[in-house]
Amino acid sequence: MIFKTKLLTAASFIGGLAIAATPAYAEGTSAGAQVTNTVTLNYKVDTVQQNAVTATNTFTVDRKVNLTVTEEGTTTTSVAPGVTNAVTTFTVTNNSNAPLDFALAASQLAGGTAAHGGTDNFDVTNVRIFADTNNNGTFDSGTDQVITYLDEIAADASRRIFVVADVPNTRVNGDVAGVRLTATAREAGAANTQGAAITQTTGANTNGVDTVFADTNANGNTARDGAHFAGDDYTVSAATLTVTKASRVISDPVNNTTNPKMIPGAIVEYCIVVANGAGAATATDIAISDILPAQTAYQTSYGIKTNGTMTGSTCNEGAGSGTFANGTVSGTIANVAAGEARNLLFRVTVN
Amino acid sequence: MKYALALLAALLPASAFANNVQLESQVFVERIVTGPDGKEQTALQEPKVVTPGEKLVFELNYKNTGSKPADDFVVTNPMPAAVSYAGGESDGSVVSVDGGKTWGPLASLKVAGTDGVERAAQASDVTHVRWTFAQAIPAGAQGKLTFRGTVK
Repeated sequence: MIFKTKLLTAASFIGGLAIAATPAYAEGTSAGAQVTNTVTLNYKVDTVQQNAVTATNTFTVDRKVNLTVTEEGTTTTSVAPGVTNAVTTFTVTNNSNAPLDFALAASQLAGGTAAHGGTDNFDVTNVRIFADTNNNGTFDSGTDQVITYLDEIAADASRRIFVVADVPNTRVNGDVAGVRLTATAREAGAANTQGAAITQTTGANTNGVDTVFADTNANGNTARDGAHFAGDDYTVSAATLTVTKASRVISDPVNNTTNPKMIPGAIVEYCIVVANGAGAATATDIAISDILPAQTAYQTSYGIKTNGTMTGSTCNEGAGSGTFANGTVSGTIANVAAGEARNLLFRVTVN
Repeated sequence: MKYALALLAALLPASAFANNVQLESQVFVERIVTGPDGKEQTALQEPKVVTPGEKLVFELNYKNTGSKPADDFVVTNPMPAAVSYAGGESDGSVVSVDGGKTWGPLASLKVAGTDGVERAAQASDVTHVRWTFAQAIPAGAQGKLTFRGTVK
């Protein structure tokens, strides 16, 4: 936009407001705006008021190209192995005093420290860049559109960008994949097309609006290169389950429950313990099946107890139940959080 | 970047005396440059490349080229809309924050805040700068007035 300022050659004192209609954005006067300064001099000679004298000068505001890419949120994106469409969120802001397009590129770290302090040790797959098309702050598959550039972003305006990727199902708890979104300023050009690359005006002054790159070196960026990036990362949060099986004699036909021995006819309790490692993701719907030894008979009267807690190595009875069929005990433990353990209990008679 | 300098001097017509006062407005960008000795120094440059946030120095040069003293000499400079006042350099200037209705040193002026309560005026509120000379400008005398601004 170019605003022409009308020059007044007033023959009397100018007391009114300045008339230049130059919009002042937060990021500054628009590129191409002409700034005119007008000064007026009034004086008398021999007590007679003389005609006012005015002088003006004009300069043109040049284009300051500045942009930032920032990560939304301050934590890593926690992902389970094998998850698809895992989302990291960024904001691209046009801090220039002119509208611009921004080319977008997503890249992955090759080792090194990721955005939230972890060490990058794998790459996510199927990396895509989405606009927040419905501007609701949440990635909506099927609604938000894949893009390669931001079109016609006004001065001061910003857009939310989602970098979306899949996590290989071979990854384990604590693995980290760093990603980076880079935006590069392009000419605004025509709508719905990515504008041409921008070059900084170097050397001698030109007869138009000059371009100055003013982006900063914040967060590892290179200053004044017309591009800016921000990093985010995915951290794999997997369950680390271990299973142990213990047995104890409840009673025998001779000693009953006092110091029972493992003799034929004795009742034995089996406790299958599922433990999840510290810092792991909560595991849910853990299915357990156990084939009974041929020398034992399932005790129907006790049944199968699931979701029991542990007190040290002692198995407490849970409230859930399981099934017994074809010589196999089956049951499901609802969930085991990090650092916790749950059990499945059943009893047999020794033949 | 276009750089235009216009000088509009309205002469007193139909006078027995050839009274004439010249006035000229110039603007410079103040930048920190590294001199030949490697030391950083402040330089005033022509406004070839000007981007928001840069410091400007406006210079107003006047000269009485007539043959009589000029009395009640008043120089008035409204702030361009895209420039924020950043203080004066030459003595004797007063400013206005209400479009030229009232004048005074910046510290003495107040403006209505967004909540309707008056607050002390700040440099960014200044709409005009004015110099009023108590003494007549003798024939042939000249001088320079300056003030500073920042590109919005």
